[in-house]
Amino acid sequence: MSRRVVITGLGIVSPAGSSPEQFFANLMAGRSGIKPLTCSFVDQLSIKIAASVDDFNPAAHFSKIQLTGIERFSQMALVAAEQAVQDAQLVLDETEYSRAGVYMGSCLGGAGTLEDGYVEVFKRNNPRIKPLSVLLSMNNAAASHLSIKYHLRGPNITYSTACSSSAIAVGEAYRQIKHGYADVMLAGGAEAMLTLGAMKAWEALRTLAHEDPEDPGASCKPFSKNRSGLVLGEGAAVLVLEDAERAIQRGAKIYGELAGYDCSSDSSHITKPDALGQTRTILSALRDAHLQPCDIGYINAHGTATLAGDIEETKALKLAFGTDAYKTPVSSTKSMHGHLMGATGAVEFMAAVLALQHQAVPPTINLHQPDPECDLDYVPNQGRTDVPLNAVMSNSFAFGGTNAVLIARRFVA
Amino acid sequence: MSSLPTIQRMMVEQFDLKIESLTPDATLESLGLDSLSVIEFMFNLEDELKIKLPDERVEIKTLQDVTDLVDRIVAEQSA
Repeated sequence: MSRRVVITGLGIVSPAGSSPEQFFANLMAGRSGIKPLTCSFVDQLSIKIAASVDDFNPAAHFSKIQLTGIERFSQMALVAAEQAVQDAQLVLDETEYSRAGVYMGSCLGGAGTLEDGYVEVFKRNNPRIKPLSVLLSMNNAAASHLSIKYHLRGPNITYSTACSSSAIAVGEAYRQIKHGYADVMLAGGAEAMLTLGAMKAWEALRTLAHEDPEDPGASCKPFSKNRSGLVLGEGAAVLVLEDAERAIQRGAKIYGELAGYDCSSDSSHITKPDALGQTRTILSALRDAHLQPCDIGYINAHGTATLAGDIEETKALKLAFGTDAYKTPVSSTKSMHGHLMGATGAVEFMAAVLALQHQAVPPTINLHQPDPECDLDYVPNQGRTDVPLNAVMSNSFAFGGTNAVLIARRFVA
Repeated sequence: MSSLPTIQRMMVEQFDLKIESLTPDATLESLGLDSLSVIEFMFNLEDELKIKLPDERVEIKTLQDVTDLVDRIVAEQSA
């Protein structure tokens, strides 16, 4: 069985905006969600910037009783899902629950709860750890809360493949519908790891961007000669994916067709990105979508702003696209929303879907010093409107070597 | 001395419940508390009152049930 899959709802909680409209408007305006941290442990950090969601107010969405059992990453997932379900005007009846599922991505799940517990046990020598710690921190808590809230009785799976977690979640959800195992899927990712322990671990790996002394918001500089790494972020994004026939029958608004996806592995190194592995993934996703490189009008790059990552991705795009690589706008919106780890693939695919909807391409900001090894059109500093787009691509290349590429195109019945 | 006022105060603080709703015969279910929030609440009660509640399952339905259990344990553990 092979069915067409469409995107009918979007929801997001992110450092660059907490609704799809606000998010895309900020991206187009080149507004950065990266800023100096103000948390209690900031003095213990060497790198004191992040893309935090400062305006997220759990009390506006949940009662205190509910918050007892729902961690920050699950809270953000639930809020993003509510937006997406409302946006899609999705109503499932009793007969459809078992044909609806949820796939989410997360790297560290409820990192904050786990760390708080460790502080009690290891540092304060307190043998008592909060009784709901396991339920709050488990990686699959966010997806499970979505399943419970929306009666999704089909598959409920959480992917943890580092930076590609939620791209994989979206792609695998697409396959569930495409091959007839489900009719509706909520898919996305959630991450809330701006915690002392997680941030110290990232510092130690030496992949974080140095703070720009003049403008902390400009610290993430993908594809620029003076790039120094990624900026950690948090947030959640959820998309409603639906069997195209079902969406047409109920008269749903359709953002576009999720036309192609592939995931494959570099199988070479735990951190070092590999252009050949990335190229294979891009080409397989194009085949899956029955598209040629020249059909892709915009690429949302993985673009982490690490030294090696941006060069390898540039190489991969040239290998996969040939001369078309130079004609296709490629941008890294991480320059604005940071790296949301387990949520980033879904956030960036959403940016690509919104680009398709608005026929507009968001920029890579902070790109003022060209790197000869990064010589594509990265849409430097200024977004572009009135760009005719028929299909868009989003790349996610992870530590561990798990690559994922998603392609959306305008839906024609 | 009954621990009811302490329990009521903590329920207001922890769950934003209205003090008027916290009558002794109010069921935890009617207050919107599920088994997990009750576990969390009992944990916090142990901290507050410096007691150790029994591990075995005790039938608790109402606020009075919580009070009776806590009062019994307080009496036992301060004896």
